[in-house]
Amino acid sequence: MSSYEILTLHETERAVHRGSNLIPIRYLLGFRAAGVNGWIADSGGQLIPPHEEDSGNEELYAVVRGRATFTVGEDEIDAPAGTLVFVPPQVYRTAVAAEDGTTLFVVGATIGEPFDGGGWDTFAVANTLREAGRIDESRAVMDKAMADRPEMWELPYNAACLEALSASVDEALEYLRRALEMAPPEEIARYLREDSDLDNLRDDPRFQELLG
Amino acid sequence: MSIAHIDALDRIELQDGFVWRPVRRHFGILAFGVNAYTPGASGRVIEEHTERLGQEEIYVVLRGRVRFTLGEDEHELEQGQLVYVREPSLRRGAVAVTDDAAVLAVGGTPGEAFGVSTWELVFPAFPFFAEGRYDEAKRILLEALELRPDSPQILYNLACAEALGGEPEAALEHLNAAVEVDEIFREHAQTETDFDSIRSLEGFPAA
Repeated sequence: MSSYEILTLHETERAVHRGSNLIPIRYLLGFRAAGVNGWIADSGGQLIPPHEEDSGNEELYAVVRGRATFTVGEDEIDAPAGTLVFVPPQVYRTAVAAEDGTTLFVVGATIGEPFDGGGWDTFAVANTLREAGRIDESRAVMDKAMADRPEMWELPYNAACLEALSASVDEALEYLRRALEMAPPEEIARYLREDSDLDNLRDDPRFQELLG
Repeated sequence: MSIAHIDALDRIELQDGFVWRPVRRHFGILAFGVNAYTPGASGRVIEEHTERLGQEEIYVVLRGRVRFTLGEDEHELEQGQLVYVREPSLRRGAVAVTDDAAVLAVGGTPGEAFGVSTWELVFPAFPFFAEGRYDEAKRILLEALELRPDSPQILYNLACAEALGGEPEAALEHLNAAVEVDEIFREHAQTETDFDSIRSLEGFPAA
């Protein structure tokens, strides 16, 4: 493993996440000290998917190229390149590109906690490959993530979602069993009840059994 | 919510001739380490250093062009490029190729919750030293000492401010406290011109 790595954000392979183009920086680099990612869009395109940080993360957004229009809480902000926008957790935020090729760099973490994320962006990378029909590569992304972070129940859970979306029911159920063995029961139970990614499993009696 | 353009942040010119833009401090971020740097008198943007405390670092070029030295290698990076230095012991630094260069640096130690680095607490005092406003420097260092009561770096710099500000007793007390925590400050004190006014007093740490 090299002691350093260089990325050109606007030329890096992207993943799709909730209608935005994610530059999966953390995933690509294996950065472990904080959550780091990028977003890129042409004029009028969505950069940050609208959300609040339920995770409790503080987040800092840097406009690296182009120009973005942020909505934070009720405020709308014009943000040319070089602008930094800090958003505490639980505050609504989204951003749209005002110029072609607008690129954001994002860093986030939770106060007082070692960074321990990396589920959602790995899922975005694997799901983008899956949707492009690159199933083997998609599975390889999840296999590697699970080997690197065997303690994260979110990863076998996400692998189950990907298999369920591909209608690979047996594989999906096997990953769900693994996730259930590791996850806090109440937390995963909510996902099992509500996650539409698992809809292909819902009629299977084995899924009903897992729901308990 | 807070927003600031990089050019609107404080400019704290540091000894190697580069300018620290205290991003984390400006926004009051407590979850991760983040700062920005622009070139000062020397054209340097990132000081030559290793990360002795095991931090991983990402340097994002926010504007202009910057030439990075990474171990034995050199790379010119432009706006929109970043370098991730995985290996804390790798010597790294950067100089501006264009005057408008700006670099955002993000760092932390894997597996550890973020804590504010001591240098971030001490460096804001340096411009006041340079301007001869020792009371202001002392105020910042006393605030820092409240957060890190045993930090020898803070105690040592506080002693400097007090020696220069005409408070020899307080200076000796804090200098000796720094030496007690880390003997390296006994060595530093011997050649520190800030202590010229107290060097001959009883209680100054002997070489």
